[in-house]
Amino acid sequence: MLALRLVRGARPWTLLRRLSVACAIAVAGFLLLSALGYGLAHPRDSGDASVRLLWCLVPLAAAAQFAAAVARTETPPRQPSALDTAGVGAARLPLLAAGSTAVTGAFGSALALLVFLQLRGGSGRLPFDGAAADVLGGDRPLPAAAVLTLLCLTPAVAAGASALAVRSRARTGSRTTEAARAAAMSGLPWGAALTATGITVVALARRSAPVKGGDAALLPLPGTVDGSPPAVLGGWLLAAVGLVLAGPGLAHLCGRLISLGRPGALRLLSGRVLQQEAVRVGRPLGVLCAVASGALAAAELYGTAPDGGARAFGPLTALGAALVVCCATASALTAATACRAERAPVTATLLRLGAPRGLLRGAAALRGAVLLAVLAPVTWGVGVLAALPLHQAVG
Amino acid sequence: MAAPPDDDVLWARGLHYSYDGSPALQGITLGVRPEEIVSVSGPRGSGKSTLLGCLSGRLVPTEGEVWFDGVPLHSLGRASRERLRRDRFGWIGSAPELVPELTAWENAALPLLLTGARQRTARAAAYEWLDRLDIGDCARRRPADLLQSQRQRVAIARALAPGPTVLFADEPTAPLHQLDRMQALRTLTSAARSHGITVVLTSPEPAPAETDDSTGTSLVDRCVPLVDGRRTPTAPRPVTEAEGSAACSLSA
Repeated sequence: MLALRLVRGARPWTLLRRLSVACAIAVAGFLLLSALGYGLAHPRDSGDASVRLLWCLVPLAAAAQFAAAVARTETPPRQPSALDTAGVGAARLPLLAAGSTAVTGAFGSALALLVFLQLRGGSGRLPFDGAAADVLGGDRPLPAAAVLTLLCLTPAVAAGASALAVRSRARTGSRTTEAARAAAMSGLPWGAALTATGITVVALARRSAPVKGGDAALLPLPGTVDGSPPAVLGGWLLAAVGLVLAGPGLAHLCGRLISLGRPGALRLLSGRVLQQEAVRVGRPLGVLCAVASGALAAAELYGTAPDGGARAFGPLTALGAALVVCCATASALTAATACRAERAPVTATLLRLGAPRGLLRGAAALRGAVLLAVLAPVTWGVGVLAALPLHQAVG
Repeated sequence: MAAPPDDDVLWARGLHYSYDGSPALQGITLGVRPEEIVSVSGPRGSGKSTLLGCLSGRLVPTEGEVWFDGVPLHSLGRASRERLRRDRFGWIGSAPELVPELTAWENAALPLLLTGARQRTARAAAYEWLDRLDIGDCARRRPADLLQSQRQRVAIARALAPGPTVLFADEPTAPLHQLDRMQALRTLTSAARSHGITVVLTSPEPAPAETDDSTGTSLVDRCVPLVDGRRTPTAPRPVTEAEGSAACSLSA
């Protein structure tokens, strides 16, 4: 299998990236198995187990997005690669990407199963044997079909996401400046509208829902579905999607801001590059912003609530949250690295023209600083606004 | 270390260069006089581009010396070599190699901006050269919206705008059709002559590209044939006597 051979002969850096994808998929798989274990341990409480399983979709999506970002870096779209010459062209490349993500994912899932079985107990004298047997339903037999389905789910979703990412990439190829601008800016109004709608929905849901004392005012994580949580969650989801959609537009605006007026070489190079790469860098940055504002809202909400933090954040919730944050950060970094790798010829040209390396580094630093200066307040604002209505209800 | 001859602006002696052990240059000695237009010719893999790289300070020869205007390029540090290249040399590659995000005039003005020139000055110089190369109306368009011949002219304008002392052109007409080739080469050499710029260019074959058919005179002053990383002073060329002498004649 070509995907396996490619993995075997890959360079350490590529292997490290693949390994981190495997870890992400392993954690997502482990969370799914834990939901199953919870269901086995509490056969009467099927609603709660289902909600737990639904919550697993968030880390699953994060892992799939990270896998797609990594797959995108491994398929150079512009220059015809050795694979292209050997017959793996733009049509077969998505299949190859899906295959190699599936291989990585299978490894991750196997890892998840091993850890799950170990924590569930029954494997002998190894450390942590049966450490969480009571939570994971250690006393009941494990349904093999359910385990297999859940373990295959993450690699399958990740492989599909990789294939789609590579395919859309192969189609767009090199786009003109106008097209890049249009693609980046088209999402901005939608993103702003969705974010505003999301915040409004949260506020309205909170106002219309009866407050049943301090405990019920908190969002159960993962908790019951009664009362306001679905509407509040929907509002948060809308706001998050809005931020993801607005990401490219915001990045493009940052680029325009940098090269405003009569720019010298530094601002010119810094700003125009950001404008051109707005879609590719802006999307994962939007995801990162959404995750950060979600974390901020959660921290605002549960951090100040009396006794709430301990109740809401179990070890599994913490694991899932950590996975989501890590995946979002890693995806943004991967996208930035991929952009850099793809711009290597242009960088070489600039160096050939005699551009000092310090100038290029300065341009990258300026981009980072302006993006931070624009995106951080937006993230903070959305996070605080999303938490504000709930916060008042608690207080 | 022997001092270079006084009348050469660029002078190289006993240049050796190898790419990870594969030899590219095997002992080349070459002098270029001020305002001379020299063509280095030879088939693919003969070491033309490597020679240009060594002369322009982009590559450091493994052995041998390169002197520019009394400055030993081979022993300069990376930073000073970069500065020298930026301030005194121009480079035209076989591909336009423009920055895709910048417009044509911004690309042409980039070397000047990099040297710290004011935006207004750089812009004026860029527009002047674009106009002179007949692509003034494309100044506000991006490389992606231009034809390949227009892009190559932008690259030529970019090399000429800062007013370099020596212009290096590595197969500058390679991406063009025959008609555009002739025109680009004529523009390049006439601009160099009118501004007193020394030019070292490479071309795959000596005769056709460098002879101006309309006047019968040669566009270049001197030919340096190269085979397998060595100079071949009496290179046998499969061209007629008249064409050959025209291509390499020392026309003033």
